[in-house]
Amino acid sequence: MAEIEFERRLERLFAEAPELADAGPFADRVERRLDAGWTARRWLIGAAGVVGGVIGASQLMVSNLFQRVESAGDSARALTNGLNHLSTSTDWVSAVSSGGVTVWAAAALAVVMMGFVLTRVIGEI
Amino acid sequence: MASSRHMKFASLHDVELCGFAALGERPAFGELVRRHGSAVRGVLRRMGAPPAEADDVAQDAFLTAFERIAEFRGEGTFAAWVKKIAARLYLRRLQRERKLGALSAEAIEDDPPPPRADADATIDLDGALKALGATERLCVTMCFGAGLSHTEAAEALNLPLGTVKSHVKRGLDKLRARLAPDGDAVLEGRRGNG
Repeated sequence: MAEIEFERRLERLFAEAPELADAGPFADRVERRLDAGWTARRWLIGAAGVVGGVIGASQLMVSNLFQRVESAGDSARALTNGLNHLSTSTDWVSAVSSGGVTVWAAAALAVVMMGFVLTRVIGEI
Repeated sequence: MASSRHMKFASLHDVELCGFAALGERPAFGELVRRHGSAVRGVLRRMGAPPAEADDVAQDAFLTAFERIAEFRGEGTFAAWVKKIAARLYLRRLQRERKLGALSAEAIEDDPPPPRADADATIDLDGALKALGATERLCVTMCFGAGLSHTEAAEALNLPLGTVKSHVKRGLDKLRARLAPDGDAVLEGRRGNG
């Protein structure tokens, strides 16, 4: 019994640690290190995003995207012309008439989405 | 602005602060450091770490705790959780610097030092701990200050369980002689259950 009481007393003594004089500056140092780590992580994620974007863009260039877009634009124009022949009165077809622009806009959106997803994935990691 | 955020967190309970910290709120974690930094540094100093080294390890322990805050389930206190992390980090540092082997190989003093005449009047744990051998001090502080069981301490120290129990028992005997000179029973190291 006596030994248990002494052990409890000892635990209390250990728990009653005196407040050190530099407790505030110590906490500030830890917070600064946390902030520094966070900043470094953000830079790392940003750099990884840029690298990913550059690689993505270079892959698009390598895969002859521009030629494909042009041919897709031609196809879209041909399709529009064909539809115009079928029905000259439909308004919605005119929206597709600027086929090249639409395809470019879609490609740009896809690139933005890819960058966003890549950044999020790296951020989660 | 920053101080108003600190003020906001100052009134919250540790568990709530941990919740905010888990969401990435660094000022909330800073408040936890402000509250428990001295206790964690104190445990490390009582384990025998010099003040500068104790501060380094305590900082690393808090950074580790922030990284792993999602693992803290609130089953014990936040301070106890960080103390365990800090104790393990300090032992790892000792192992890296090959100081732990030297401590384990130290001669064990058989006779506790004579009790102080004024032990009843002044309960000076830090002074009493100085009367212990380095490994006894480590073992006692890990078990009673950092809250590790005998088994956890043995694993962290890479020592046999029986050896750790023996160190704890000897340490307790010496502490009792220093802190309670009128005590009547020989202590058994009963912290943890193997």
